[in-house]
Amino acid sequence: MTQVIVTSAGSYPRIGDAPETQRHRRAYAQRERGEISEAEWQAVEDEVTREVIAEQVAAGVELPTDGQIRWYDPISHVARALDNVAIDGLLRYCDTNCYFRQPVVRGRLGRTEPVLLREFEVARAAAAPHPVKPVVTGPYSLAQGSILEGGYRDHRDLAYAYADILAEEIAALARAGARLIQVDEPFLLRHAEDADVVDQTFATLAAARGGAQLACYTYFGDALPLYDALQTLPVDVLGLDLTYSPKLVRRIAEAGTAKVLALGLVDGRNTRLETEAVVHRVLDEVLPRAGGLVYLNPSCGLEFLPRDRARAKLETLARLARTYAGGEGGRR
Amino acid sequence: MSREKLQALGVDLPMLPTSTVGSFPKPDYLVEARAKAGRNAITRTELDRLEREATEFWVRVQEELGVDVLVDGEQYRGDMVAYFAELMGGFSRGGLVRSYGNRYYHKPVIVGEVRWLRPMTVAWWRWTQSLTDRPVKGMLTGPYTITDWSFDDHYPDRKRACLALAREIRKELVALLEAGAKIVQIDEPALSVRPEELPFAVEAMHTVVEGLPAYYITHACFGAFETIYPGLLDLPVDNLDLAISHSALDLLAMFEKDPFTKDLSLGVLDVHSHVVESSAEVKARIMRGVGVLSKERVWVDPDCGLKTRSVDETRGKLAAMMAAVREVRAALA
Repeated sequence: MTQVIVTSAGSYPRIGDAPETQRHRRAYAQRERGEISEAEWQAVEDEVTREVIAEQVAAGVELPTDGQIRWYDPISHVARALDNVAIDGLLRYCDTNCYFRQPVVRGRLGRTEPVLLREFEVARAAAAPHPVKPVVTGPYSLAQGSILEGGYRDHRDLAYAYADILAEEIAALARAGARLIQVDEPFLLRHAEDADVVDQTFATLAAARGGAQLACYTYFGDALPLYDALQTLPVDVLGLDLTYSPKLVRRIAEAGTAKVLALGLVDGRNTRLETEAVVHRVLDEVLPRAGGLVYLNPSCGLEFLPRDRARAKLETLARLARTYAGGEGGRR
Repeated sequence: MSREKLQALGVDLPMLPTSTVGSFPKPDYLVEARAKAGRNAITRTELDRLEREATEFWVRVQEELGVDVLVDGEQYRGDMVAYFAELMGGFSRGGLVRSYGNRYYHKPVIVGEVRWLRPMTVAWWRWTQSLTDRPVKGMLTGPYTITDWSFDDHYPDRKRACLALAREIRKELVALLEAGAKIVQIDEPALSVRPEELPFAVEAMHTVVEGLPAYYITHACFGAFETIYPGLLDLPVDNLDLAISHSALDLLAMFEKDPFTKDLSLGVLDVHSHVVESSAEVKARIMRGVGVLSKERVWVDPDCGLKTRSVDETRGKLAAMMAAVREVRAALA
């Protein structure tokens, strides 16, 4: 019997279409105009964090995230807090319609205080009694998204430097009680030749994880060519985007897995809701080889969708997990 | 250059023809009017009048600067995909999605068979062309980019959505050509986002243009072109407009390896920078281009639409570009 846990995969839309769901957008504009204080702004961020956690739980998610409400984007959020990093112009984030600001690294990276700890503590208090999963962009993707102007020889060296910084973040999160920490490496799928760099950076992160488990999530591409390499990463959980790669399902069914899998079953990039037939067919193939535990989640963070559809995606995922687990079909 | 093709179409252009990518900034009065129109605080007729005023302003600016092939400046468009989605059948508006920072937009959703209902750009093209003796480009967004920048609740996969859109965009192209357009730009900025999909993006472009007589330009900005080059050359267009300034000109190194077989619009102004380039900087970029390709095959333009710059920055950048082109023309003549 495989235990199934429904989880989120990172970001969550911070506003909806209705005016009463746009508090974050209004406060952001007020902050830009200097009409509210930093403390007032932080209070709004905390409030919206609590709101999106409650929404995930209400949709049936057992392991929510904080929705990454405070993150300007996946690349600059941590980098902007580091020494010798400036934040530059906008660049398209992988193949999405979203943009990130490029960190410009001009010297050796330094970190004076935890970046993610307070965010996690707010989220953990909001999610209780549910656990909450912190999510961080991995060292390799941070390096790939950065402009290197000084301090390091190349982007590989920069990835190792980001790993040292993130190891401190992970240690702090683990000490604060995080049980599973998700590390996102979407850029890896575009640079399979750098799998060895990612492996080394995860060794650094794993050494700092304390009592927490580490998950490596990849998405926005086909993980099939990297499946074997991912299986050897020093992590406990592998997050795989199944929406890009139908053949990946067959590969898992054939090869099995040495890691706990987190299956990106519903498409976090498109509004269409998945059907039971499609999702259950994947589970039929994968679960017999998945071991004692599997996470089910969207293919990526849900910020690429309108809020109402993001919630519907989670509700769909939770419902299909329930019906698969026995309710209707009694399959397992 | 497919100069013969242009001449056969009745278009005579100088060496290193100059143009722009499509959008210009909206003057403050138009930004304000569009916001009011969103709240129904002014009439559609009043907004239309202001859009025409702004369009005419930009036509005069382009003429004064000496640009060879003009655009209407897209003063009547918000987003390059949503504009078409709002006028076609089969789309709904979609909910708000964040782009960056505090910027949100309504991302269109394909909810049924996409359908061309009526001309979407022809009246604007016809009116703009009536203001000037210089050729005005028809400006369309390509089917692959409309697919990629929309949600899809209807088609079974992205390829079928894209090919269906191609059949409908072709109808708009037919209408533009019937109105008299000789040069048509079909923008595909999303082209490099999923390299494995390039074959059906190319197939879609064939569907759009095949058998229809015009000089075709495709603009494709800020992508990872190394992942789709030289396959990009399979696009059935005459001219590829690439963001050269933003990529530190390393595309040209690729062309040295795999020869570029089309005309190239050399995007020499960085539209994401407030800094107005000097004509010497722009000249150096142009010289890199004509060092790799025959001068007969090179056009010069900014590396993307200028709508995010101010009116003054736009004028300054274009003036630098035109000064540089005049110097290069003199040097190469």
